[in-house]
Parts: sequence; structure tokens; C-alpha cells
Amino acid sequence: MTPVLPSVRRALPHVVTLAVVLTAWSLVSASDVVKPAYLTPSPLEVWEAFVRANTYHPIGGGVDRVVRGEENYFLWEHLVVSLRRIGLGLAIALVVAVPLGLTMGLFRGFGRVVGPYVDFLRSIPPLAYIGFLIAWFGFYDTSKVWLLVLAAFPPITLATLNGVRGVKEDHLNAALSLGATKRQTLTHVLAPATVPDILSGLRVAVGFAWTTVVAAELANGLPGIGGLAYLSGTQNKIALSVACILVIGLTAIALDTVLRILEKQLAPWRGKA
Amino acid sequence: MSDRTVVVAGLEQCFRARGGEVHALGPIDLTIEPGELVTLAGPSGCGKTTLLRLLAGFGLPSGGSITVGGEPVRAPGVERGVVFQQPTLYPWLDVRGNVELGPRLRGSAKVERRRTAERFLELVGLQDVAGLRPYELSGGMQQRAQIARVLANDPDIVLMDEPFGALDALTRERLQNELLTIWRETGKTILFITHSVDEAVFLGSRVLVMSPRPGRIVLDEPARFSTASHEVPPEELRALPEFTELAARVRSAIQHVEPVVAG
Repeated sequence: MTPVLPSVRRALPHVVTLAVVLTAWSLVSASDVVKPAYLTPSPLEVWEAFVRANTYHPIGGGVDRVVRGEENYFLWEHLVVSLRRIGLGLAIALVVAVPLGLTMGLFRGFGRVVGPYVDFLRSIPPLAYIGFLIAWFGFYDTSKVWLLVLAAFPPITLATLNGVRGVKEDHLNAALSLGATKRQTLTHVLAPATVPDILSGLRVAVGFAWTTVVAAELANGLPGIGGLAYLSGTQNKIALSVACILVIGLTAIALDTVLRILEKQLAPWRGKA
Repeated sequence: MSDRTVVVAGLEQCFRARGGEVHALGPIDLTIEPGELVTLAGPSGCGKTTLLRLLAGFGLPSGGSITVGGEPVRAPGVERGVVFQQPTLYPWLDVRGNVELGPRLRGSAKVERRRTAERFLELVGLQDVAGLRPYELSGGMQQRAQIARVLANDPDIVLMDEPFGALDALTRERLQNELLTIWRETGKTILFITHSVDEAVFLGSRVLVMSPRPGRIVLDEPARFSTASHEVPPEELRALPEFTELAARVRSAIQHVEPVVAG
């Protein structure tokens, strides 16, 4: 018998599980359990909808016209638009939240005064802002980016603050004894020591922002993957809607993986020291 | 090197705790001459670490004064290096980066500080792991790296807070011998805190014992085992009658003043 490669053996349970899930899904969609039948597209139909949404394709129904993806954008373009909103919102949130968290940690009085407000903002479900933000910033992208800023900045601020508070006193003392100035203790001890916490805050914020952006795109969200998922559902294009849902879920996992890799690169000592 | 005599006069430390004020330390009067290796033993909780931290400048005393070379101690300073009980190495720097941190903070040129780091890494036998992160080292190696970091900064006085306390017996003995070699070679003033009677007697050129809280110096004797010829193996030194006698005096000084009712 030929020996099975270890990597194959490791992958096997996952392949089997996936096969079982897809088979069960196919069986349900082929059966008459759910009526009408178009509510349960098969995996193949979802795949076809996914491919159609990423290509030029005939509009169908006997009309001799070719359209670009869905709603004039390819599906991946919808995704990129949503990701760009997130990226912009997170970038602004980081620029505000990290200095704020550091200041709150360094100046206890300031932290005590400002802390309750950050806690308050964190406790608000971001979607509660949406009407207010549309009134302020209009119906287009600006209001959505602001929404993401509001969603992302409390977790990053609190994580940064937590990081500053967790800096070991003797790590600061050791630097001072080695001749560090106050300012050098900030750049050489406090800043690097806080990096792991900022990254965990960022991970929380990304998860939060992703949920928020998909929901925020219910209103005037095209192009946008959340907007497409919603619209296709309302138009009874269930296969396309399911394809969007899968893309949204897989993107969330991919984002988290990227951040985890980043964490490993930037703070390899996390959990070890 | 300027005259870095350490003078402690009437030093006292109190701190607030639940149920009122705790008198933790003192009064303590103590003079440490340059080049001495002073070991300080005492029961746990007696204020040894408090004294060391005041000398390091990590806090201010409630009363009395500390001067080093005539200058009052108010804050940490480069002339007083501190070896902590826990290694306190920075995990975001590799071992070399930790060792060259002091020179780097003071703006020393890259080539120069690299050379300094190599020298002290070699002195403590860590040249082969210079590129590793601290958490990849054993406890003993971490303590060596910390000692190298302090020495690379060239302080006149090294304050060591039970640096070998958490190590296994073999590693501890090896590091004790290394410390003595370093002390003989560099002539640094060292204050070494320990809870081990044997360690205090073996290492010290002068042995101090502190009473339970409020900590006071209750024994202050010269010792000569650390200055003995290198050729005499440590086991033979420890077997000398003089060694066992001093160890007995130190032990009884620690136990004699132990309170009857534990607090």
C-alpha cells in the first residue's frame, strides 16, 4: 500500500465534512420540503449565480442584451466597494482611537473623565446612528464611512487604554535605570508594549465594522456586497443572495486571518512573555 | 570613576495600607564603599526589596536620605543598574537588542553599541543566542541576559534583587560563580539581595542581615569567600569551618529576630 501524505490525511476530515454539507444542501434543494422550489437553490445554482455576477452575461428572457455583472458591477467590485468603506472607516478610527487611548492611559485624570463617554459610545449599536448620519452627511458613502468610524473607534480606544494600563511597571523602571528619558520610555517601552492590545482591538473592530457595513448597505448600498445581498433577496434572486452571503462570510474569515497573521508578525511575543 | 560611595542615613519607609500606616523599613544607616559586594539577607517581607527600590530611585523614602557620591538619589540613574527578580527583558527586542538598549538610549553609535553588546553577551555566555527573543530562553539564560544588559550600560553600582531566586540549584551555582568572576574583573559595587543564607555568605565581601518589618540591619560582617583565590573550588570553600560559622551566625540573626506571632 502506498503511504498517505500527512497533509492529505489532515485535510481528509474537512473534505468529508464539506461533502456531507453540500450533499445535504443538494438533497434539500432537490426535494419538495420547501415550496416554492426557487427558495432553495442548489449549490450548483448558487455557483452559477456567482459566476454570472462576475461576468458579462445575457440578460435572458429572450432579450438580446448583455449586462455587466449585477447592477452594472461585478460581484467582486461590490465586495471591493464594501471593503474600501471598511478600510477608510478603520483608518480614521485608528488615527483617532490610538492617540486617545494612549492619552487616557497616560493621564489618569483625563482617562477618568473621558472613559464614561467612550463606554457610552461603545454601548450604542452602530446602526442607531444611521438616520442621524444620513441627515448630517447625506445618503452616499460619507455617512457610511462615518458609521464605521463610530463603530470601530470605541473598541480600539479601549484596547489601547487596556494596553497602556497593562504595561509592567518594572519594564518602565528598567528603562529609566538604563538611562531612558521620559520620552524614550514612551517610544521604547510603552508603544511597543501596547502593540498587541491595539491589534486585538483592531480585530474586534474589524469584525464589528464588517457586520455594520453589510447592514448599513440596506439603505442605498449599491454598489456594495451587503446592498447586493439585500436587493437580490427582495427580487427573489435567491441563488445570488446566497452567493453574496457566502462571500460575506468568507470575507470576514479572510479578514480575521489576515489580522491574525499581522499579529504574529508584529507581536510574536503575544501570550509568551 | 568618581567616588560612588553609597550613604544611607536614617532611612525610613512607611506606606498606607488597610487598617492604617505600615512601618516597612528602618531606620537604616549604611555606607557602601566602592567595589564592595554587599549581600543582604533577611526573612521574606522584611523590606529588602523596598530598600533596593529606594536605592534604585523608584520611589522616595518617608524619611532619611540616600546619597551616591554625595548626590541625593531622587530618581533612577544610569550609575545605578538594577537586576530585577523577574528578568524584565523586552519581548519586542531580541537578546542583543536588549543588551544594547542602554547604549542605544544614550545615542551611542551603532557599531560601537554592537561591539559592547557582543562583549557582554560573550561574558555571560549568550553569544550564540543573541538573535533569539527573550521568551525563547530558559530562566537562567534570561537572568544572564538581564545581567549583560545592566553591565553593558556600565553602571558603577549594580543593585540585584534575588536574581537567582527562581533558578534551579545547578544553574544558580553556575551563575553565582559567573557573578564573582564578573565582580572581580569589573570592580563594580554590588548590592545583592537574597533569601539564601548560603548565597549571602558565599558571595558577599560583606554580609548584612535585616530584621522583620520594620526592616533594620541587625548583622553586618565582612566575609572573604568571594575574594578567595579562584583556584579553590566552591565546594571546598563551603566546607571551611569559617564558612559554616558565619553561615550559622547569619542564620541565627535571621531567626533570632523572627517574631513569635506571625503577622
